[in-house]
Amino acid sequence: MSTTPVIEVDRLNLTYGDFHAVRDLSFEVRPGELYALLGTNGAGKTSTLEVIEGHRGPTSGTVRVFGNSPRDRRAVRPRMGVMLQESGFSPDLTVRESVRLIGRLSGRTDDVDRVLDIVDLTDRAGRRVSQLSGGEKRRLDFATAVYGTPELIFLDEPTTGLDIQTRDAVWATVDRLRENGATIVLTTHYLEEAQQRADRIGLMHQGTLHREGTVAELTRTLPAVIRFSLPAPAPALPLQAAVDADGKVVVETFGLQKDLHLLLGWAQDHAIELQGLEAGPTRLDDVFRAISS
Amino acid sequence: MLSIAASELIQIFRNRLVLVTSLIIPVAVCLFFVRQHETFADIGSLGYIAAVVMFTIAAFGLYATAVTTLASRRQNLFLKRLRSTAASDTGILAGLLLPVTVIAVVQVTAILIALAVVAGKPANIALLVVATVATLAMMIGLALATAGLTNSPEHAQVTTLPVTLGVIFVATWVGITGTADLAWLKRLLPGGAATELTMNAWNGGVAVTESLALLAPTLAWVAIAVALANRLFRWEPRR
Repeated sequence: MSTTPVIEVDRLNLTYGDFHAVRDLSFEVRPGELYALLGTNGAGKTSTLEVIEGHRGPTSGTVRVFGNSPRDRRAVRPRMGVMLQESGFSPDLTVRESVRLIGRLSGRTDDVDRVLDIVDLTDRAGRRVSQLSGGEKRRLDFATAVYGTPELIFLDEPTTGLDIQTRDAVWATVDRLRENGATIVLTTHYLEEAQQRADRIGLMHQGTLHREGTVAELTRTLPAVIRFSLPAPAPALPLQAAVDADGKVVVETFGLQKDLHLLLGWAQDHAIELQGLEAGPTRLDDVFRAISS
Repeated sequence: MLSIAASELIQIFRNRLVLVTSLIIPVAVCLFFVRQHETFADIGSLGYIAAVVMFTIAAFGLYATAVTTLASRRQNLFLKRLRSTAASDTGILAGLLLPVTVIAVVQVTAILIALAVVAGKPANIALLVVATVATLAMMIGLALATAGLTNSPEHAQVTTLPVTLGVIFVATWVGITGTADLAWLKRLLPGGAATELTMNAWNGGVAVTESLALLAPTLAWVAIAVALANRLFRWEPRR
């Protein structure tokens, strides 16, 4: 497989009037990887995606998709599928007509019924888009993005508003596409999705890439956490701890295994039950909290 | 482009409001003019009826419907969706406007044929075709420019009024009073020269070369409208 990046962003800047939405942003997305672009609200993710998708021109800097300008629709669009954050389908067209129209315009070929089946909309095929639920519209959107099995797929909050079964079905389809070598760019508010699925994560904050790396790389810089409740009264703890707002004891540590062992030994010796005991590496949520605070 | 046009045609026929305002009402008005052609020929001339009929279709059928359609497709982000495919901007606009344009051409043709059947043939059919094409082109250009100033299909009911009422007024004014006086003003107003051209084509009696000069103001309006559209047209709703 080629190692030329699918997406190259080099010193991208984007301003709206006085507002500097994106500052000197540089990153790459490699073939076959799932890259999650995450960030707080207003971090500049959507603006960045809009430039990469070719909806907007950069104020300065360059963006290349498959080595082309993203605004060169004829060269780029047949190779990429886009799931927009807001639907944008005509309420007066049916589900089948919408998929056929957008699919055909993508420049790829596929079987409309096959695509409808993937997103479980076969029994809604003849319905007008205006009659669909929010989740069904998201599925329709996903269907148009994966029509014709593009090499690059943008998923902008793909699972917002979907029930668990549909969410699993969407991810199963994404996994199949990835087995065939597809590259995925994802934004999501469900951090566990990114944590489970992303090869690399770019964390945006105030228009810049605050951190970038694998989930392990991002979480490694923050301590692991042990949490539990203690019955009162209790003897002094063997390690440094704090008490959180819920009255739980919180231990932050870079030596999780050693400290957990110490703690469990101490509890055993004093015959103390550590209620609601949890221990684990830092979650992506904590990385997020760390940048916004 | 053709797949966009086909889907647009489906949408027009599924939306009753658009169907009534863009297809039925203008045709009803035109049929009234054709039925009462003797009365209106007395007020102006048969060429005046041809011009009013053409502008009624072009203003209410074509222009107002095009503005409403574009505003509506932008508001529900359908334009953005189309732009995330491989279709070019020109292809998207052409596809969206093709059905209303074809419908307008068919309507104008049918009604002018009806007028010819009840009141006699026009003097110069080729010139009439030229006048029709120029008028429809001008109205499409104005529709693109107006769409840039229109936020929603409801808003279109207000934003289209100056042009629809304006061109109907100009066509009526020029059609009834002719261009014997205030000729320059009348010819420079949007629709004025096109009305005179239509009347010359239908009534005859004016040299073709002289009539063709009347195309210049209409084509200038096309150019102005396209330039305005380039500045004003937006693909996404304001946030």
